[in-house]
Amino acid sequence: MTKLVGSGMPRLVGAALMLSTGAAYADIGTSIHKMFSLPEDMSHLKPTAVVMFCVFVLISLSITWWAAKRTKSTADFFTAGGNIGGFQNGLAITGDWCSSAALMGIAALLYSYGFDGLIYSVVPFGAWPLMMFLLAERLRNLGKYTVADIVSLRFARVPIRTLIASSSLAFVVGYLIVQMVGAGTLISNLFGLNYEMAQVMIGGLIVIYVAFGGMIATTYVQIVKAVLLLSGATFIVVAVMMRFGFSLHGLYQAAIDNHPTKEAVMQPGGLLPDPVNAISCGLMLLLGGAAMPHVLMRFFTVPNAKEARLSVAWAASLIGYFYLLTFVIGYGAIAFVMKNPEFMDTQTGLIRGGANMAAIHLASAMGGDLLLGFISAVAFATIVAVVAGLTIAGASAISHDLYANIFRHGKATDAEVMRMSRIAALSLGVLGMVLGIAFKDQNIAYLIVLPFTISSTVFFPVLFLSMYWRRLTTTGVVAGGWLGLASGVIMLILGPTIWKDILGHAAPLFPYKYPALFSIAISFGTMIIVSLLDKSDRAKEEIAAFADQYVRSQTGLGAEGAVQH
Amino acid sequence: MQDIYRQIFKDPRFHELQRKRSRLSWTLAAIVIANAAWYVLATAFYPEAAFARFWGQPISEGTATTWGIIIGLAQTVLFILLVLYYIHRANGEFEVLKEAVVADALRVAGKQS
Repeated sequence: MTKLVGSGMPRLVGAALMLSTGAAYADIGTSIHKMFSLPEDMSHLKPTAVVMFCVFVLISLSITWWAAKRTKSTADFFTAGGNIGGFQNGLAITGDWCSSAALMGIAALLYSYGFDGLIYSVVPFGAWPLMMFLLAERLRNLGKYTVADIVSLRFARVPIRTLIASSSLAFVVGYLIVQMVGAGTLISNLFGLNYEMAQVMIGGLIVIYVAFGGMIATTYVQIVKAVLLLSGATFIVVAVMMRFGFSLHGLYQAAIDNHPTKEAVMQPGGLLPDPVNAISCGLMLLLGGAAMPHVLMRFFTVPNAKEARLSVAWAASLIGYFYLLTFVIGYGAIAFVMKNPEFMDTQTGLIRGGANMAAIHLASAMGGDLLLGFISAVAFATIVAVVAGLTIAGASAISHDLYANIFRHGKATDAEVMRMSRIAALSLGVLGMVLGIAFKDQNIAYLIVLPFTISSTVFFPVLFLSMYWRRLTTTGVVAGGWLGLASGVIMLILGPTIWKDILGHAAPLFPYKYPALFSIAISFGTMIIVSLLDKSDRAKEEIAAFADQYVRSQTGLGAEGAVQH
Repeated sequence: MQDIYRQIFKDPRFHELQRKRSRLSWTLAAIVIANAAWYVLATAFYPEAAFARFWGQPISEGTATTWGIIIGLAQTVLFILLVLYYIHRANGEFEVLKEAVVADALRVAGKQS
């Protein structure tokens, strides 16, 4: 695809224009034409990578075929009938949680910023105990298919579902773009396939998994991916540690010796220099990570709260183990990839494919083409599975929350909701492809701040207050939720990343990169104040209903169980 | 179902369960939040603040590993252990207590109808 805008021009405006004008269609037309031509340079094609990738695709498609025969009702489609066991669900949650950001992103941050990159390992992992202690079991006892079910138990159905479903969709689309662009870049770097072809392939696979196999297929694809990811990361770590006789000191000494900043690579400082940004970013990762809709949805795929806790035990152990590995992978990349001519671009002298490729290059340095092929296939599986998880979360927001509960007022039949889910999955897949192509070659790192800001500003306050605070009312949730969402998005646009770096203005109108601290305060504050001021009869009923909801949230009595076939 | 909820709400053991569980979960949550805050603030206030200064120092003379790395690794392990401890309590004693409360409430409701 030819670039629409010059490098000096504001890129986001370019992308927005591309989507909204007729020129965009012509442009997408040429890219579709180009897509089916053979890659220009076949030398990038790694046979081991291609073979392993094909094996993954075959396995995942057989899973989908098997799952499709078991997907008979909406309960099967959205929650796999509540029949997934604790261990399997723990693996699937691990799959949902560890996106390509976890494998490639953390290594890239460590490679670029040293020690501070680890903040993206330790702090988001803190979301896990927090989610377990404060949210998980009550969520399991109150919910059915989606996060919106929990909140609409005691509050007005239409305004609440509109808020939650819109926020979920914004979350899903933001996250989707990051994953799609990452996947396209990865594939064009590794398999020599062209970028647009990669987008179509991923989009197509996702639509097949989700539309036909629903939550059952998505769960088992996540499980396969989690096993691949954990074993791949373990291989890299063992290979790195073998070079140093399993001494961490040896590895860190080698990283210090190879890094231009020497000792500073092992010390804090650099990534988050001012306290407001640091606190805001920390809050965003901690609260946002504890309330991600595609992860929370997984608590409904197990039969009861006890199994939900068991799945968290597995997920937290596996994710924690993975994060421990990042302490080796990131520094391993500094020790073996940095300054290694094999991985440097001959023209720029910088790392080939960008810092995001650091973990992949490390695999190649440690285990040659075999490990490289395996890790490439793992990275690809990682992205495909996360996109599938996001797509089913988005599809459930569209079909269960918006279609069945709002447009049809809960009167739609099972078959109609299923049909709508499949249409939603197809639309999200196509949207992902189109946006993936539109955002090609753009700096999309800021986009990951969007979903985290939404989940910390909307989902966390809404879920937390509705389960812990008797006085919360519909008016409070709606006012606080929308105000928080709007303020978060506006501050993000006016902040340094978009307003200054992307739109090219001299100074940002909002000084901080991470708006979460402010948007969370606005959201919580508004919900509390508006609820306290709400003296309507409706509010009195909602407050009175708290006791029953409270007993149910603590005991699970009346909660959705497993579907028997 | 509402009758059963009300019945459970009247049972003092239900409130005992709730008190125990929330004391445990808030204590553990406070530990997690304090650790995460320490990590975030240490990166923000390094090297000025006393709680952050030693993060950049090697754990012993002549080694490359710094206290920051050790603290990060230890916190990750701590978070796993806290989750496992909570689940051990919740799936053990709390679950037993909950089952007893629910069973009694169901029996009372059964007699009334």
